[in-house]
Amino acid sequence: MHTKSGGKEYWKRYYSLYLMLIPGLSYVVIYKFLPLVGLTMAFQDYQIFLGDNILESMMLSPFVGLDNFKRLFAYGEFAHVFSNTIIISLMKLFILFPIPIILAVLISEVPSIHYKRTLQTVVYLPHFLSWVVVFGILSTLFGSYGAVNELLTKIGWKPIGFFSDPQVFRWTLVFSDGWKEMGWGSIIYLSAITGINSELYEAATIDGAQKMQQIWNITLPGILPTIAMMLALRMGGILNAGFEQILVMYNPGVYSTADIIDTFVYRVGLGKMDYSFGTAAGLFNSVIGFIMVIGGNYLSKRVTEHSIW
Amino acid sequence: MLKRKTKADRIFLALNYMILTLTGLLTIIPILHILAVSLSDSRAVMANTVSIFPKGFQLEYYKYVLSKHDFYTSYRNTILITVFGTALSMLFTVLAAYPLSKPWLRGRKFLLMLFVFSMIFYGGIVPSYMLMKVLGLIDSLWALIVPFLLAQFNMLVIKSYMEGLPVSIEESAEMDGAGPTRILFSIVLPMCLPVLASMTLFYAVGYWNNYFHARMFISSPEKRTLQLYLNDLIISATQLQNDMTVEDFLNLSPGGVRAATIFAATLPILLFYPYLQKYFVTGITIGSVKG
Repeated sequence: MHTKSGGKEYWKRYYSLYLMLIPGLSYVVIYKFLPLVGLTMAFQDYQIFLGDNILESMMLSPFVGLDNFKRLFAYGEFAHVFSNTIIISLMKLFILFPIPIILAVLISEVPSIHYKRTLQTVVYLPHFLSWVVVFGILSTLFGSYGAVNELLTKIGWKPIGFFSDPQVFRWTLVFSDGWKEMGWGSIIYLSAITGINSELYEAATIDGAQKMQQIWNITLPGILPTIAMMLALRMGGILNAGFEQILVMYNPGVYSTADIIDTFVYRVGLGKMDYSFGTAAGLFNSVIGFIMVIGGNYLSKRVTEHSIW
Repeated sequence: MLKRKTKADRIFLALNYMILTLTGLLTIIPILHILAVSLSDSRAVMANTVSIFPKGFQLEYYKYVLSKHDFYTSYRNTILITVFGTALSMLFTVLAAYPLSKPWLRGRKFLLMLFVFSMIFYGGIVPSYMLMKVLGLIDSLWALIVPFLLAQFNMLVIKSYMEGLPVSIEESAEMDGAGPTRILFSIVLPMCLPVLASMTLFYAVGYWNNYFHARMFISSPEKRTLQLYLNDLIISATQLQNDMTVEDFLNLSPGGVRAATIFAATLPILLFYPYLQKYFVTGITIGSVKG
């Protein structure tokens, strides 16, 4: 339409489109960009009661250059939480990434529609439960006095500290995440499988190819772009080890293996009110995370022509 | 076409059913166990003999949970946040998605970049907390809505969906003199129902389940949300014991009360979720395929 490139006519006709953007844009500017001003705290020795309000304190607090970052890297605890983050994240990646793919392939091979529907309803469900609820459910079963440990003691084994043993707890994190999200994760692969041309399967059947061969030669290659995209995006979120999950499930007894950057920032930055230090740790996390996401998205675009933006 | 199943295929199918049934059971048993515990009598709960069927059926735990004032307050708060939050989020999201779905919109690239950048760069917990302090929203229920008014990813998904709609309908409405606002509400949105339904579900579940922000921002007892209430109940057996009278204690086991609270807190999700299943599949599919 010609008006779409015109001058005055364009604005007269379409100004309301810009009005529509006001709520969303103000949200992004106020809630997402304004806090970036607060990042100055990372380079200050921020003292909250220096001024009458937060901003005034920010103006008055002395600048200390990179001191907070030096402290961060000198402080053994940060290296520790950083490696916890990476380890938990990689454990989840290696163990949990393939599961939804296998699940999707298996579901797609089920001939009975009723069975398929019922199963999908069941396996998608845990995604909609909060971590608090999941923790409640799992601690009832796996807690010190839960049914599982009761059973172990009965058969003469030692009880396992699923939530209290630092070595075991990481596995608890991995498997509870898997329990919650595997069904949900399979949806995207299932829809990719639906998109595969059904003639390929028909032709293969006529040629006498068995199910396993069809999966190997048609299904998996057909969803390979989706797999590559998900992998790239997942790698972009490598610093995301599962903040809310860990916040809900951990306790001081397992800090040594389960304290991650996010929980550390929350505890030290807000809990101990070491604002500058918390901001610096958070900024470090954000910058690395940002680079990883950009990299993951770039990779996804290169390999599969799909990206999140 | 002649359907002939080879032996290998039959074995595959049997194995497939076995693995999937096992997966399904693994998913559902913990949930059924909680449900069974919440309906069983104290002795069975204490002795840990409840499986996935209630033992000595009773509703005492639910009666007890529903008699707690704090439970009501937190439930009410969570409902308030979920209803208002979801409505506001949908409004914010749709209003931003529509203009950005127009490829000829001037400044579109820049505007999109703002949204995308804000999605992938996060200022961090401390600055966000400070912002809430500046806005005076600490210990207010608004602090649990404002952070989620617009999820950029959801906005991009709706935008993609709108881009896929046929242009001709909108153009003819425009010829008839309808302005963008009218076109959006009376033509475009009705065509977007599947994606709107799934995004509504995502927002609602997000508000309902949010724990971290409530932990960070809320301190007054009367503003606590369901997830906070639940979390404290799960973590501290002491709180539960303090709440209970001697008489309660004789009849009710803490484990049963916990289970009943967990189930009562999840009930709305369990009720709505099966009906929305076909929609959220659409939502995810669009989100992944286009961008």
